[in-house]
Amino acid sequence: MPLDSLKNSIEKKCPEAKVAESDHSKTGWYLDVAIPAEKIVDVTETMFDEMYYLEAITGLDFKDGFQVLYHFNKFKTKERIVVRITTEKGKKVPTISSVYSAALWHEREVHDFFGIEFEGSPDMRPLLMPEDADFHPLLKEFGKVNAYLRMDEIYGDDK
Amino acid sequence: MAMINSEPEVTREYFLNLGPQHPSTHGVLRVLLKLDGEYIVEADPIIGYGHRGHEKMAENRTYKQFMPNPSRVDYLSGFIYNHGYVLAVEKLMGLEVPERAKYIRVICSELNRISSHLLWFGTFLMDLGAFTPFLYCFDDREVILDLLDSITGSRLTYCYCRIGGVAKDIDDQFIEGTLSFIKRLRSRWTDYHNLVTKNVIFIHRVKDIGLITKDIALKYGVTGPNLRGCGVPYDIRKAEPYEIYDELDFEIPVGEKGDIWDRYMVRLNEMEQSCRIIEQAIKKLPRGPIKASGVPVKIAPPKGEVYFPFESARGEAAFYIVSDGTEYPYRIRIRVPSFSNLQALIEVLPGTLVADTIAILGSIDIVVPEIDR
Repeated sequence: MPLDSLKNSIEKKCPEAKVAESDHSKTGWYLDVAIPAEKIVDVTETMFDEMYYLEAITGLDFKDGFQVLYHFNKFKTKERIVVRITTEKGKKVPTISSVYSAALWHEREVHDFFGIEFEGSPDMRPLLMPEDADFHPLLKEFGKVNAYLRMDEIYGDDK
Repeated sequence: MAMINSEPEVTREYFLNLGPQHPSTHGVLRVLLKLDGEYIVEADPIIGYGHRGHEKMAENRTYKQFMPNPSRVDYLSGFIYNHGYVLAVEKLMGLEVPERAKYIRVICSELNRISSHLLWFGTFLMDLGAFTPFLYCFDDREVILDLLDSITGSRLTYCYCRIGGVAKDIDDQFIEGTLSFIKRLRSRWTDYHNLVTKNVIFIHRVKDIGLITKDIALKYGVTGPNLRGCGVPYDIRKAEPYEIYDELDFEIPVGEKGDIWDRYMVRLNEMEQSCRIIEQAIKKLPRGPIKASGVPVKIAPPKGEVYFPFESARGEAAFYIVSDGTEYPYRIRIRVPSFSNLQALIEVLPGTLVADTIAILGSIDIVVPEIDR
């Protein structure tokens, strides 16, 4: 499988990574990589060397912390990888904008919506929110939402 | 005696706001330009004026109640977004859709793609100062809007797909209208090429300008016609075929180096490919039901997550949905192509002239409300 070499290089850079294969026909991606937040730059460098592009950075708010998802893909058939980090509320996440220029806007957006700080980012101005906004609208505590859950309530205990 | 200024003359850099209310920014977009004379030193697109919070809206309404939203994210390819959203939910539920519904959705999506490209064609050339092509392509586009109006009931923000199928069946009138429209559009290519493509002023304004190379595309995640312009044959319809795209015969037009000319040609050729897709789909259109049986009234997908990419008129769009098992989504993330495409301009614009900025901005075909969501 062509993803094996990528799997190896991720595990070399980050031995504590939990790499799980995922069913593309159900989820839309092939590899699900869970790593500690401080290793994100190392892993992203591997992705960049392997000619992946960054599709999106997504924030998720749970009762017991934030999850930040990085979707990577190649300009080829079916190569999608998800790298996910879990972070406690109030903790900073290292920026990957030094590797991917695209990350700068995505991180600004996540900062707008969730208030997650990206450490080392050269530009943390509000992107989509007004300059004087002092709230983060996608936090589950803001406005009306249907549910506010813990991570294990959605994913089970493995992530 | 006159005073002589002995200080050497220095160039002064100054700032210019392009927008937020400027006809060439196609929506409320501001580009803060740092200029040295007529040349651009730095460009900083400032967005967010049209932020409506679609992702927040998704958190307090059901999957069904969110149905009208996707087509308002990108109103120019509204059908494709509507289509993409139901596909994502269906994938999350593991729902099988009848063949006829798949064909109808693809026919309408491709019609929508043509209408989006036609609008781009007109407005882009208007940015360059050519007014007449705008009237030609709006004349053509009007036919598509009427066709889609006849089955969906709306002209721009469609909500015609349903989870498990489509709202109502298409009739012979629609099929005949579509076929005669394709015939008409094909007869117009000569006009378009004579009017624009062979125009020497146009050629001088677009050749070798605004290069988006493969490296820039990789760094910024540029997709769609802007990526194909630099020669990368990447199209979600081929790379991760959904619906019936793998059963149809069509090509991915690509350019060579990624200048405005290449992007222009890619889009024109794409319209022809969309015509081919529609023709084949109409030819193969099967009979049968248009909605899956046994779709629950309460749409409550099982716990889990799905990332569903689809090819909008501007590139790779995607819905990432996290379900907590209830009829309300826990989180919907919308990946929009224009967001990444516009960001690439930070690297493309420096070194070009102000007049070229307008051309480049027009050529990447952004929809600002789509970026802002």
